[in-house]
Amino acid sequence: MPYVCPYCTTPHDTHEGLRAHILSDHTNEPLPRAPGRISITVNGEPYDLKVEPNETLYALIHDRLGLIGAKMFCDRGACGSCTVIMNHRPILSCMTLAIECDGAFIETVEGIAAAHHPLIEAYVTHHCMQCGYCTPGFVVTAKALLDRNPDPTEDEIREALSGNLCRCGTYPQHPKAVAEAGKILRGE
Amino acid sequence: MDDEREKIIAPENSMRPDKYPLEQYSSIGRRGLARKDGYEKATGYAVFTADVNLPGQLWLRILTCPYPHARIKAMDAGKAEVVPGVRAILRYDDPELPERADVSGHFGRGNDGYQPVLDRCGYWQGMPMGVAVVADTEDIANAALKLVEIEWEERPFNLDQEEALKPGAPLSNPEAFPNGNFILPSMTLQATRVWGNPDEGFKDSDRIIEWRMRKDKENWVGPERPNGLFRWNGRYPELWLKHQRPHLSKRQVAEYFKIPVSQVTLHCFYQGGSFGGWSQMALNMQPNIIAGIMSRRTGKPVKWQFTRREDFCGAGIDNARYQMKAGFKKDGTITAVAGTSWFGKKGFAHMGHFVENTSVRHVLQESNGAVLNIMPGSAFRCEQNMNIFCLGAVLNRVAEALDMDPTEVALKNDGCEGHPMAELARRKRELGFQERDSLRECIEAGKKAIEWDKKWHLPGTKKLPNGRMHGIGFVFTHEWNDSTGSGAMGIRIERDDGSARILGQRCDNGCAAETAYCQIAADELGFRYEDVHYRQFEEAGFAPMTPDASTNLTVNGFAVRNAARQLKQQILEIATTPRVTERPDMGYFPPFGEYKAEDLDIRDSVVYVKKQPSKRMTMAELVRPAYFMGKMDIGATEPLFAWGWQNQQGAQMSTPGPRLIFVRQAHFVEVEVDPETGQIDVIRVVNANDVGKAINPDAVEGQQYGGSVMGVSRARTEDMIYCPATGVVLNGNLIDYKINTMLDCGPIHTIIIETGMGYGPYGAVGVGEDVATVVPSALCAAIHNAIGKWVDLPATPDRVLKALGKIENVGGGR
Repeated sequence: MPYVCPYCTTPHDTHEGLRAHILSDHTNEPLPRAPGRISITVNGEPYDLKVEPNETLYALIHDRLGLIGAKMFCDRGACGSCTVIMNHRPILSCMTLAIECDGAFIETVEGIAAAHHPLIEAYVTHHCMQCGYCTPGFVVTAKALLDRNPDPTEDEIREALSGNLCRCGTYPQHPKAVAEAGKILRGE
Repeated sequence: MDDEREKIIAPENSMRPDKYPLEQYSSIGRRGLARKDGYEKATGYAVFTADVNLPGQLWLRILTCPYPHARIKAMDAGKAEVVPGVRAILRYDDPELPERADVSGHFGRGNDGYQPVLDRCGYWQGMPMGVAVVADTEDIANAALKLVEIEWEERPFNLDQEEALKPGAPLSNPEAFPNGNFILPSMTLQATRVWGNPDEGFKDSDRIIEWRMRKDKENWVGPERPNGLFRWNGRYPELWLKHQRPHLSKRQVAEYFKIPVSQVTLHCFYQGGSFGGWSQMALNMQPNIIAGIMSRRTGKPVKWQFTRREDFCGAGIDNARYQMKAGFKKDGTITAVAGTSWFGKKGFAHMGHFVENTSVRHVLQESNGAVLNIMPGSAFRCEQNMNIFCLGAVLNRVAEALDMDPTEVALKNDGCEGHPMAELARRKRELGFQERDSLRECIEAGKKAIEWDKKWHLPGTKKLPNGRMHGIGFVFTHEWNDSTGSGAMGIRIERDDGSARILGQRCDNGCAAETAYCQIAADELGFRYEDVHYRQFEEAGFAPMTPDASTNLTVNGFAVRNAARQLKQQILEIATTPRVTERPDMGYFPPFGEYKAEDLDIRDSVVYVKKQPSKRMTMAELVRPAYFMGKMDIGATEPLFAWGWQNQQGAQMSTPGPRLIFVRQAHFVEVEVDPETGQIDVIRVVNANDVGKAINPDAVEGQQYGGSVMGVSRARTEDMIYCPATGVVLNGNLIDYKINTMLDCGPIHTIIIETGMGYGPYGAVGVGEDVATVVPSALCAAIHNAIGKWVDLPATPDRVLKALGKIENVGGGR
């Protein structure tokens, strides 16, 4: 009897049976999640997904949702290329287990682009990319910065982006693009 | 060939300047153009090979050798075979595998790439070998690999080239090099090369200095890890390949599987970094060949991808020590130089830059290479590293010995192939170049930008109020683009809107070369930049020059230009020439039928009559839809398509070239060195590059500051470290192998100089490889200027402290 009601401890054979019991006997209480299932909102779209315990958020959004802007450069936790915004904070999706993201609001570079964020145009104009593999990670990190600090200084921009590695060495252009996007957002 | 025809089709002679540049430019040289790949890359929609997955694909994982040198005595893969989800296993003793095959992807040469597909022996820690597993998931394949039981015969190994070359040293690779560990440098394949008479040159000098120096091994660190995807369409393969040379790889696959090249379908998407690196190493096609074998056996697509650590163990460059000698006059004139190198695994020419851009007549280069049990060597941005390291060292050591400003020593010795500047001036006039002094212009502009005259001082003499030592360094060399090779590219006009599409499959390695080709095509056709496009991912029947030695633009640029000039001629012919069938009312009746082709021109994608510009027609109106059904006439133009080709005979790796090089670059670095901690802060970098003609100035600057960031990183922190006791890589990840972040380099000031003295189209010369290659030597000179001591590269804090006499040993087994 693996499915025990969290409210009255009655056992049930199946998850569906447990859900039916809660719906009928505990009408005011939230339904339990099936093991391994998460609800997650990505770029405004709600998803209800079954995830494996060892599945990273990166694997979920890149391989399953097809949002390939998140990239895997370092292989684990050192380069920032897989950055996404989760609940308003930039995080490394390669170091985050999808199963821990239940209820989270995720923003990827595709969502930022779809919202016509001025960072995109600024990044293109200022040639902030060469090979382009790390570029989306920079855009996402920069977006998170502008969300919390609409008028960052150059030092603040450099500090915020210092966790993102670029082997092509595009670093000098990013502060220009981020500052320009900030200006547009501020209506200047 | 008459002049008009030649003007259209080809400056085939790469030994002379561009005879037919345009009279005016529109897209070429313009700033602020959106990169053709910019939006895709900024939004995350750009597809890289690693992003491609196919339904039902299996994952391939290959064992990597856990030892620096070992042989498999016995293997039992039984436990791996029964793991659920394992679909096939390939062992080194599989009967399908040939004894040896070319798995290099870059021409197998003897032992450099022509080797077992799955070797029974491992010759460096991390070498893919022994056994490969394909399974439903990467995790299952990894788990199965761990269950393969192997009895190893560990062998003695060599990590140090000087030790490996001593009598009695164990053999690093007894199967391929049974007679000893000695090897010759790549490309030149000569132990000794002499220009002039070095003995006489040294006799003629007022003073001679000698020293030893070293530069340790770096890694390429391409962001997208090596990967590939292989499937068989029945008898013929289809590949998704991360590779710098798609056409060579295609041939390699065809040769291995004994099928016609024309039956191999290959996709080469955006490349997450390239830099020469992994694509050039021996064995680099090995995983693709194995994936092909396994895909054929299983009937499923097979994907592979190295881990970052596997990639770190896979390819590096520049592991060399040098014994140097320079003879010079009191006025700074260098009379002779001699350099002996001891390189590990792979080496390139190291004295060639004296030949290519100095007036030094007497040069001696001796090379001693050793087969080692470390990762393969590779030309990672680029094979000129050793050359510039030696040129920079001589230049600055001579300046130090004479208490001279190194920029003065540089100008004193500027030249080419032993010729002084006066001779070069004569040759420039003969060839029809402008007679400009490229190095002087670079130095003057660079010195002004970094305030050299105010800041330069004798080495070790300027202590700052913050307690740090101030230093400023300089180095120069030429701009290069001298690989021999050919490039073919086509352009077609799209039938339905008259836009132009460039054809030719090549890897995009981030230099914005694709954008530059579109600019060239636009200006040559008379099109708007927005109307020319290039998606280089798919096969189109043309093989552009690969990204070698900054030779993209000088070869492919001509190919695009020649195609565009022919295509423009076709468009004007089509616009004026009727094609009538047997029925006089049925045919193609051109809109400008009363004119001749030479009466028309194209500007802003509009065809017009030169003497009556109001008589005009857009390209879209001219070509009309592909399937036009409404009138009696045939309705559409014939296909508009042309191809161009350029074959460049370049200098081959510092052999005295067939053409004298007139364009130069000068780099300046300012540092502060903390004498207590050994920490080096790079305060400022100035790049002055004479690129001949900047087709895309924004892209040129990108290569300048990008190269500076990479160069500073390489010179200061990058170093592959092997455990001396076990031969295992100790820092195979991006935490322990440190590349620069945004905070690690001060402002970079870029200066573009355009003397037009390159041999490429419009006088252009390459810039993609060289800044990252040259800047480390400028940083090395700046550190010396700060502390008055020479520090080997990478100049890690422990090395700085050792040079200052504050510690005795440095870490990392160096």
